[in-house]
Amino acid sequence: MRPDYPIATHRLDNGLRVVVSPDHSVPTVAVNLWVGVGSRHEQSGRTGFAHLFEHLMFQGSQNVAEGEHFAALMAQGAQLNATTWVDRTNYFEQVPTGALELALWLEADRHGRLLPAVTQANLDNQRDVVKEEKRQRYDNMPYGNAFTELTELVFPDGHPYHHSTIGSMDDLDAATLDDVHAFYRQHYRPDNTVLTLVGDIQPDDGFALAAKYFGELTNPDHAPAPPLDPPLPPLESPGRLERVADVPANRVYLGFRLPAGNTDEFIAAEVTFDVLAGLATSRLYRRMVRGEQVVTHVSRNAGGRVDGTSMGALVFDVADGVPVEQAEKIAAEELSRLAAEPPTDAELEAARADVERWWLQSLAQQDERADVISAGMLLYDDPNQLNTYLDRVAEVSAEDVRRIAGAYVRPETAATVVYRKEQN
Amino acid sequence: MVQPRPVVAAAEPWTFPTGTQHTLDNGMRVLLYNRPGQHITSTRLVLPVPLAVEPRQLEGVATLVSRTMDEGTASHSADELAELFERDGIALAAGYGARGMTVELEAMASRSARGWELLTECLREPVFPQEEVERHLKQRLAEYEQEQASPGARAALEWAEAFYSPDSRASRSAAGTPETVRAISRDDVAGFHADWVRPNGATIVVAGELDEAATVAALNATLGSWQVNGEAPQSDSPAAIVAGGGPRIRFVDRPGAVQTEVYVGSFGPDRRDKHGWAPYPALGFAVGGSPGARLDAVLREEKGYTYGFRAGFRPRAVGGVFVASGSVRSDVTVEATELTLSILDEVSGKPLTAEETRSAVDYIGKTAPARYATADAVADEAAALELDGLSTEFVSSYLAQLATLTPDDLNAAWGAYAGEPRTVVLVGDAEAHAEGVRGLGRGEVTVVG
Repeated sequence: MRPDYPIATHRLDNGLRVVVSPDHSVPTVAVNLWVGVGSRHEQSGRTGFAHLFEHLMFQGSQNVAEGEHFAALMAQGAQLNATTWVDRTNYFEQVPTGALELALWLEADRHGRLLPAVTQANLDNQRDVVKEEKRQRYDNMPYGNAFTELTELVFPDGHPYHHSTIGSMDDLDAATLDDVHAFYRQHYRPDNTVLTLVGDIQPDDGFALAAKYFGELTNPDHAPAPPLDPPLPPLESPGRLERVADVPANRVYLGFRLPAGNTDEFIAAEVTFDVLAGLATSRLYRRMVRGEQVVTHVSRNAGGRVDGTSMGALVFDVADGVPVEQAEKIAAEELSRLAAEPPTDAELEAARADVERWWLQSLAQQDERADVISAGMLLYDDPNQLNTYLDRVAEVSAEDVRRIAGAYVRPETAATVVYRKEQN
Repeated sequence: MVQPRPVVAAAEPWTFPTGTQHTLDNGMRVLLYNRPGQHITSTRLVLPVPLAVEPRQLEGVATLVSRTMDEGTASHSADELAELFERDGIALAAGYGARGMTVELEAMASRSARGWELLTECLREPVFPQEEVERHLKQRLAEYEQEQASPGARAALEWAEAFYSPDSRASRSAAGTPETVRAISRDDVAGFHADWVRPNGATIVVAGELDEAATVAALNATLGSWQVNGEAPQSDSPAAIVAGGGPRIRFVDRPGAVQTEVYVGSFGPDRRDKHGWAPYPALGFAVGGSPGARLDAVLREEKGYTYGFRAGFRPRAVGGVFVASGSVRSDVTVEATELTLSILDEVSGKPLTAEETRSAVDYIGKTAPARYATADAVADEAAALELDGLSTEFVSSYLAQLATLTPDDLNAAWGAYAGEPRTVVLVGDAEAHAEGVRGLGRGEVTVVG
């Protein structure tokens, strides 16, 4: 089945794009802002800055005290947070309907009037917090930096996607208050922002509230982000990184360049990765986990990116006593086989049915729906993705998958990171 | 001009969705929650057989049963079953916790009945093929190694071992340890299933957009036909006995670790506590549920030692635990451990204020409509309460109590458990910090590898 969520759009005079999707089943509204800035916009020597900056957005603004954003909204029953990724930063809260205006007022204050409240003390404090986030999620975790290392092999040095969103400790240390001011002025602007409201509100009321609180925000004179990079071809001589580390099992990461997000080619690539490793009946899972039992676990990951080129990955844990090279060889055989033998009807049907279930299940939540709408609107100027995505997946044919596997997911184009278990 | 700060309108009253009860032909109870507008139907089957019935030397067998029931039946091979589930986009997951087994089924509303049919086959006629059981045994051993290597998971496992008496099941990993998992045979798995997995006492929860009569009829045609002859054995193995003794610290050595995981826990209430349940989620929020809560206000926002600490009460069938945890920069291990313990100690001397109370009460009460907006959230809550012998009326009644709470109520509830000795687990560089931690005088320090 296809979802049919209502979508109404409006653009304020200052360029802020506003989307409203009414749903009165619960007396709450999901407020969701996407700003078109992520780690791909960072300058050399300032990796991790977009994310550090996101933390500062919770430390007060002209009319909001330090800590008040969280405290004021949580006390009204809001669930809120923010995240940073390569192409964007998002800020969101789901609030009881009666607290919608408070949420918009708080958001407008930090999206329009942040700088008067930023101090060296809260920059230093949040720098420390982010460094602990990096240690907790990357440096102190087994395999914690593997994905960063894989990404560095997939995208060349100097490419906007070469470095990770968390950045490096040295670059975090180097961040100054001047950087904060320049970054905010460059990227936080209504013509680089989308505001989505999903829930207990009508479109006209939502547009009026957006105008009331965000209408006075202005853009700087200089243009927003530079044009996008051209697509990169699949890797011709992909790199390989081997590490021996204190990890519980040998693990292999394969990384691939894929078409840019939201293209038909990218959606076909997503289905290709599902057919390879997304299901219990997928080819790698069936042969490597269930059949020959050379690995204990296999997973896939294909994320769309705006700037010309996306990335896909396959990850597997090699079973005890099995040589890493043997598992790699079998994986390579299956990649080559998919380029020769398209998926059967049953394989394709299973992949589609799985996407249909998780897509509809995630859209059941107002906040997820708002996030998908903002993503489509900000990155691809398409607020209807939540309604059209399943149709586009359904259009992917077996031949599309075979072709994509042959063009983009060949073993010869795979960057490889191997973590080998330390021998005591 | 900047708009004046808006005034917040009162939230509308809200109660947990009402379910209806039914009984299938084989005696299984059914709870239905009609949720119009939900495209996906969520089913939970709960089997209230406590984990403590596992034979001591075969711990992990219950988890293996939950993971292999769908790996081959008298009618279909493992591969065929996987194809049947996945062809219709039906997701099945089963796991075993302290109070019993929970099976989760997610499917498009139109395909739920097919899901119940396949689930019935897995419950009634699994054959537990030797090669599939062996594969899951190996996967469990690999999973155990992953848990040991993850600071958070390792801390939780070590804490249970240090806190509970070794006689009780709660002191050891629910999915078994390598020693017990290696001892499990295919016949043990089949035997546990035959003894314990039966419709008597089991409950089915279904939440989604549904027609009640048609749903009950479809459930009767599938799960209602599941019959097992004979009686289940009896077991009175202890589930969760707290070990004797005072406060203690177990330091798990990870040489060179750049952070130390801090995990502090003590005895706490269950959902039937004499103070009522409502004060405890509120206390959890005030102490460790937001960046402004007592722990993070100091450890994160003032000191910058951590990405974040979390604290909360976790009810068991009888009694429960209070846990506070987070990871801190390695070089502040000693100071952060002392700070964590003293912030918890200080709650009694520096009682919760009216503002802290109101924030906690409002956050928990007012987030409820959003937290329970989807079919899967409703089904999860109903299933969790069912395993504790409670209905979802419990949610509405504790939310009603929550709205009446005063600072005195919170402080009295905190006081009831504040004197319980705390067991601390640290996972980090023991060579660098164990002596310093010993110097705190916060209990005997044991270093383990």
